[in-house]
Amino acid sequence: MTRRNGHNPELVIRHARVLDPSTGLDGVKDVRIVDGRVGEVGDGLRGIRKIDADGLHLFPGFVDVHAHWRTPGREDEETIESGSASAAVGGFTGVVMMPNTDPVVDKPVVVSGLLRRIERESRVRAYVSAALHVGLKGERLTEMRLLKEAGALCMSDDGLGTQSAGVLRNAMLYAHSAGLPVLLHCEDHTLATGVVHDGAVAALAGVPGSPASAEDVATATALVLAAETGAKTHITHVSTGVSAALVRFFADRADVTSDTTPHHLTLTDGLISSLEGMYRVNPPLRPEGDREAVREALRDGTLDFVATDHAPHASEEKELPLEQAAPGFLGHETAFAALHTELVLTGKLPLPRLVGAMSCAPGRWVGEGGSLVVGSPADLALVDLSEGWTVDRESLSSRSWNSPYLGRNLTGRVVGTIVGGELVHDRTGARFGIRA
Amino acid sequence: MHSRDFLTLEGTNRKELREILDLARDVAEGRLSKPLAGKTVCLAFFEASTRTAVSFELAARRCGADVISLSEKGSAIVKGESLVDTVVTLDSLGADTIVLRHPAAGAARLASRHIGAAVVNAGDGCGQHPTQALLDLCALSEAFDGFEDLVGRRAAIVGDVLHSRVARSVIPAFLGAGMDVALVAPRTLLPLDTDAWNLPILPSVDAAMEWGAEVLYMLRLQNERMTGGSPRIPSVAEYGAYYGVAQRHLRRGVRVMHPGPVNRGVEISGDVVLNEASLIPNQVAAGVALRSAVLTLATGVAHEVAA
Repeated sequence: MTRRNGHNPELVIRHARVLDPSTGLDGVKDVRIVDGRVGEVGDGLRGIRKIDADGLHLFPGFVDVHAHWRTPGREDEETIESGSASAAVGGFTGVVMMPNTDPVVDKPVVVSGLLRRIERESRVRAYVSAALHVGLKGERLTEMRLLKEAGALCMSDDGLGTQSAGVLRNAMLYAHSAGLPVLLHCEDHTLATGVVHDGAVAALAGVPGSPASAEDVATATALVLAAETGAKTHITHVSTGVSAALVRFFADRADVTSDTTPHHLTLTDGLISSLEGMYRVNPPLRPEGDREAVREALRDGTLDFVATDHAPHASEEKELPLEQAAPGFLGHETAFAALHTELVLTGKLPLPRLVGAMSCAPGRWVGEGGSLVVGSPADLALVDLSEGWTVDRESLSSRSWNSPYLGRNLTGRVVGTIVGGELVHDRTGARFGIRA
Repeated sequence: MHSRDFLTLEGTNRKELREILDLARDVAEGRLSKPLAGKTVCLAFFEASTRTAVSFELAARRCGADVISLSEKGSAIVKGESLVDTVVTLDSLGADTIVLRHPAAGAARLASRHIGAAVVNAGDGCGQHPTQALLDLCALSEAFDGFEDLVGRRAAIVGDVLHSRVARSVIPAFLGAGMDVALVAPRTLLPLDTDAWNLPILPSVDAAMEWGAEVLYMLRLQNERMTGGSPRIPSVAEYGAYYGVAQRHLRRGVRVMHPGPVNRGVEISGDVVLNEASLIPNQVAAGVALRSAVLTLATGVAHEVAA
């Protein structure tokens, strides 16, 4: 990481409303950071370097287990530098990079190469997911144990579902032996033949639809195999009520966790009536009923956390008719603000649950961050819950601008992101300054 | 003496193993003279085999038996005759012992239920391969200080346990001899219920050495485990790194075994195959005497051991 070692390793954040749902901590406190870790949480702490955070909330930094930084291969869309800058702007202190790059992250040398570049170029902690199958083809297993030794955190064929249950089962068994979790994009390609959700909006618009069953059938297969093999399994971007119910059924029958995305929690397939390529995403935006079910599943803890599926695309891949556009949205910079605006401010989701779902639970999953317990890495997000802002193409830190929230007014903004005690995103300067 | 089937080593015990091994030693030391003179041994191989078939044939001939060989090609089997009908025919022709190799587990047991002749299982599918495990015990007893010396020694069985009839015989044989046994394999090459044998599962040959293995019993990895429609292993490089035996494992006293044929550079690195730690030649060498002993016991002749 490009976090520079400060001359003075101590930093005190004063008078922030400190919220850590993992411990139940919630109150105006001072936090002292020592040697990149949470050193002390208390009242009246003094220090030479300090941030006065009156009126701001302090959360454990957000962790995103699902992001595409397009490196290697599509550095025109995102790089480790720009992706991590985008993450830092959104309050994310840890991000898992998906392996569907060019070349695919399916060899140990690609993992070690990426980790070296992350060390140099990333502003936040970044982790590498390696591919479950060579070339993401769902045929030959990757060298999972050698990939793990090279530093891979988990295995995933994200972007594609594994089409043969027999092949997937072997991959899960082998990953289990290798001590690696699998992160599964659940999609049956024999059912997913369209480009948007197969519903009334698609019917009226005349755009080919993919039914919810394309996700549900594959989710059911993955969960049954998780229960049978004992493999540690994460189901990513759950977007339907049926899939959420399946996850609920298997919660105590398998070693399974799951996430859903900010866009599936806030948007519906109503947007596709615009026929704009911008709104193509996979899994597709769903109708109101699914959005409601997914919200409820996040609220009640069935879905463990939020992951953004940050998927930058060049404008030539998005400024197209729906059927020709590439699927995917930017996610890092708007995740917290969109969910705060749409779910917390409307009373649909308590703030501690949102923070738990963006910080604590995914932090536990990656094994780092997501906690303000003394001794934890000082990975923090300072947030102004009252600041309104407009999502503006020009001000995004990503190299791409395919956010479905462009032009929207959101409330709640990350004003400071701290990774290992270093400020990697700082909008406090203008207002508070770091007083040396 | 009565004829006796050799179908499985599941549930075998020290006394039984000892009897067979003692007789094998008598054979090897030339103390048995043509025990099967006037008897007919039929080799019925429903599946390709070279070393096992040759070893049985040599054993039967050295014991003085008349030998009939029936291979899959050139027999009624290719005409679609069923296993049971074939062995009943052989029985009716007067075979005293039928040595059966078949691609399906349980074939030897099924055959034995329909005929009076003794059945010796020479390998049935992923089921059992009892004479392989018995000759392994012969070779091990010689390498250590006799059968009694095996008690408490640790053996790691490494590789494709799931598809191995050798493993299904070697496990009860080694346990019956009083050895401690662990399995070393990824879950794709183990039964789904990894507690099926209630044995420790270790993640690598290195871990087996830490566990204190004195015997590394390497199983053959079939190529189709990597390339078939549903691969279970990523690559030779990864398999070799964790489930292959290399020079570094050959610390003093460890013995390497393999039922053959070896994939050099996969389960055993090339420079280990003929290393002095390797018992592979000893295993092959023990085969004829052990199979002579098994055929003698199976046929049920009163064998006189010269003093």
